[in-house]
Amino acid sequence: MLRRNIRQRREYLYSKSLEGPQRALFEKKRRIRAALEEGKPIPTELRNEEHDLRRQIDLEDHERQVPKSIVDNEYATATVREPKILLTTSRNPSAPLTQFVKELKVVFPNSQRMNRGGQVISEIVESCRSHDITDLILVHEHRGQPDGLIVSHLPHGPTAYFGLLNVVTRHDIKDRKAMGKMSEAYPHLILDNFSTQIGERTATILKHLFPVPKPDSKRIITFANRDDYISFRHHVYEKPGGPKSIDLKEVGPRFELRLYQIKLGTVEQNEAQSEFVLRPYINAAKKQKTLGA
Amino acid sequence: MGMTSALAAAVSTGRQVFPSPCHSVMVMDLDEPLDTAAAEKGEAALRRLSEADPALFLSPSADLAAAARAASQHIYSSLAPLSLAQPPPLPTLLTDPAFDAEQIWSQIELLARPLLPHLRRQLRRLEQQPPSQQPPVATPAVAEGELLEEDGESSESEELKNEEELEGTEDEKESEGTQDEEEMGDEEEEEAELDGRGGNGVEDKFLKIDELTEFLEKGEEEEYGGGAKRREKKAAKNWMVESDGEDDDEDEDEDQLDLEDFEDDDEEGEAGGGDIRYKDFFEKGHHKQVKKRDGSIKKVQFKDDQAHESELDDSENDDGNDEQEQGLSTHEKERLKMRAKIEQMEKASLEPSTWTMQGEVTASKRPKNSALEVDLDFEHNVRPAPVITEEVTASLEEMIKKRIAESHFDDVEKPTMLPSKAPKEHKELDETKSKRGLAELYEDDYAQKAGIAPAPLSISDELKKEANTLFKRICLKLDALSHFHFAPKPVIEDMSVQANVPALAMEEIAPVAVSDAAMLAPEEIFEGKGDVKEEGELTQAERKRRRANKKRRYAASHKERPAKLQKD
Repeated sequence: MLRRNIRQRREYLYSKSLEGPQRALFEKKRRIRAALEEGKPIPTELRNEEHDLRRQIDLEDHERQVPKSIVDNEYATATVREPKILLTTSRNPSAPLTQFVKELKVVFPNSQRMNRGGQVISEIVESCRSHDITDLILVHEHRGQPDGLIVSHLPHGPTAYFGLLNVVTRHDIKDRKAMGKMSEAYPHLILDNFSTQIGERTATILKHLFPVPKPDSKRIITFANRDDYISFRHHVYEKPGGPKSIDLKEVGPRFELRLYQIKLGTVEQNEAQSEFVLRPYINAAKKQKTLGA
Repeated sequence: MGMTSALAAAVSTGRQVFPSPCHSVMVMDLDEPLDTAAAEKGEAALRRLSEADPALFLSPSADLAAAARAASQHIYSSLAPLSLAQPPPLPTLLTDPAFDAEQIWSQIELLARPLLPHLRRQLRRLEQQPPSQQPPVATPAVAEGELLEEDGESSESEELKNEEELEGTEDEKESEGTQDEEEMGDEEEEEAELDGRGGNGVEDKFLKIDELTEFLEKGEEEEYGGGAKRREKKAAKNWMVESDGEDDDEDEDEDQLDLEDFEDDDEEGEAGGGDIRYKDFFEKGHHKQVKKRDGSIKKVQFKDDQAHESELDDSENDDGNDEQEQGLSTHEKERLKMRAKIEQMEKASLEPSTWTMQGEVTASKRPKNSALEVDLDFEHNVRPAPVITEEVTASLEEMIKKRIAESHFDDVEKPTMLPSKAPKEHKELDETKSKRGLAELYEDDYAQKAGIAPAPLSISDELKKEANTLFKRICLKLDALSHFHFAPKPVIEDMSVQANVPALAMEEIAPVAVSDAAMLAPEEIFEGKGDVKEEGELTQAERKRRRANKKRRYAASHKERPAKLQKD
């Protein structure tokens, strides 16, 4: 099991290293294909390789045409089986934090909450791997206010570090009876305004925390990106008067997420490569929109 | 309180006590009538105690104890009318022999404890007030007070602390207090009043009414020249005793310095308003006109040894100054103010500036934790966190509703399953009778195998064959990589066997290993002439001939190659 993990990780890194040249190759093939279809002459820089590439193009089917990226690598089997999530906290959580984590347990379908106790992160990750858990979510706090969320995809997958702001929990709302019980059906997802590459990456990370929903599910979870701050909202909707009228009822916690790091390993791998790190101290930080326009 | 504690100790028999030395201050009778007999007895007892040999206190003695009790009773009864709660909770001290020292002490405490803070406040008030003028000699009781006052307030307070008789000193203070209030000038009286009464409602630990009035007065002085008020203050101070007087005057000295230096106008302002007083002319003022100039020069060196003289000069010069200032026009006053400000600013710029103004400052150059108090101005490159307002929520919900209406969700999608097995090729069986006979079919097969008839190869077959060969190569490589026991290269089935054998031989019955049907005839092995010579056997002529032949063949085959270019 250990050797298998090591081998898989090496494969993953190797395929990541191949991704660059593969993309270039794909580009060339695409250009040749386009030229052939339109009847235009093939670009001069590709003439030498054109013969070999043409044969490859013929042999390709529509599956193989798209180049494999690492993203697909990590989440390739994710769609086949349902995600299994483990939620836990930092050490010695306060009461508000444990309440918040309980709420998150209800938000994510197929999730389990675990008391942190005195476990070390590497132990937790090991036990997750052996139980076939796909995602590990850690929640951190500052003086009772939840302020950090770490989403780690488990086999070897990427880890996204978020900061939490403006957290409003269900426990805070006095009139809990009015809110009613939270539906536990598999929710529909709305991911709004994730247009850059890192935005797409974050979107897939967040997306694959949820299983495939039924088409008629009434529960909606929204991740809306405004100015690099992702708003999480959880609604249940009804269509009381025919299909056009929609009655939204907000249910569940609401908070803002701010992505500050994506690492290409799991939580316990400190030396893993960083795919993205937030740099707020550079002069151009105000103008940068890393997640989407 | 030394004496009372000694008394308490002495009261209880059987205890060893070290009496503290007693300062004897004469007892003052109160205004209220006392039981004279009891008073005399009490006083006698006190005298007895004070005169007793301290060694006697070391051993318990009954008469000393009785004397102590009587004395304490006397003191208590004289103190009782002064207590804050009238009538006092315990009118007389109960000093039966049955009472223990602790009990007597607690009775005394019951009376004395509420009084102490009251007394302390009185004392503090007295200390803070500037010492008033000589109170008029009214009563012999007050004479004592006068004496005390002249000694200075510090000694007075000492006296108070070392008191033997609570009620005596208390009495003195009260009388002094009242006299002070009567005798003070207007402002000071107001201040005292404010101290006493106005402070109750408004004062707290931040706001002090007297500080406020001081500040206001200072401001007014700066605004309006403050001639009138200052004169009055000086008038009050002229009566002061040396120590305090010097300090104040020197302070004023420094304030006055600037004005003195820049004093151009020389107004002999006698008619400078109605602020002329008797003292100006008949006490010290007659030096004014003569010594004004000298006084001003002296003022510049402001730490004078001749304190008294300078003080005189100061006082008279202050007076003269005031008069001059009253005669100044507004423009001149403003100029004076400006000059004062300029002086201030010049002084400030000569000093080292605060650390916040010093440019690059490291932690060692500024006081500890000083950066926490200052509001430092950073340029924040980060966009601030969003505030979730109603509008934001509304816009989000709009977007969500729109998406729901369109059913446009970003869910995870089920993947298209890759076929794990190749799709089964369903060969359709054609059930019609074949047109060609069986012999013809066999003929066709044979022809294909023998290679006589060309096989109808389609493109897909070629591609398939190529794909097949590629796949087999890959499998071979994978097998080599993954198996510990490597399987050898498989036999490729389409290896064509060269049948260099006549047809007859193919029908040979004997087994292949034994029969010589596959054997080739010698001429089939080797064609050519018999004499073949090796390299070593050749003669030189032979070798030359061979080389010539070779060259001829080479030249023939490479005729079309261009000639080598000559190097220039």
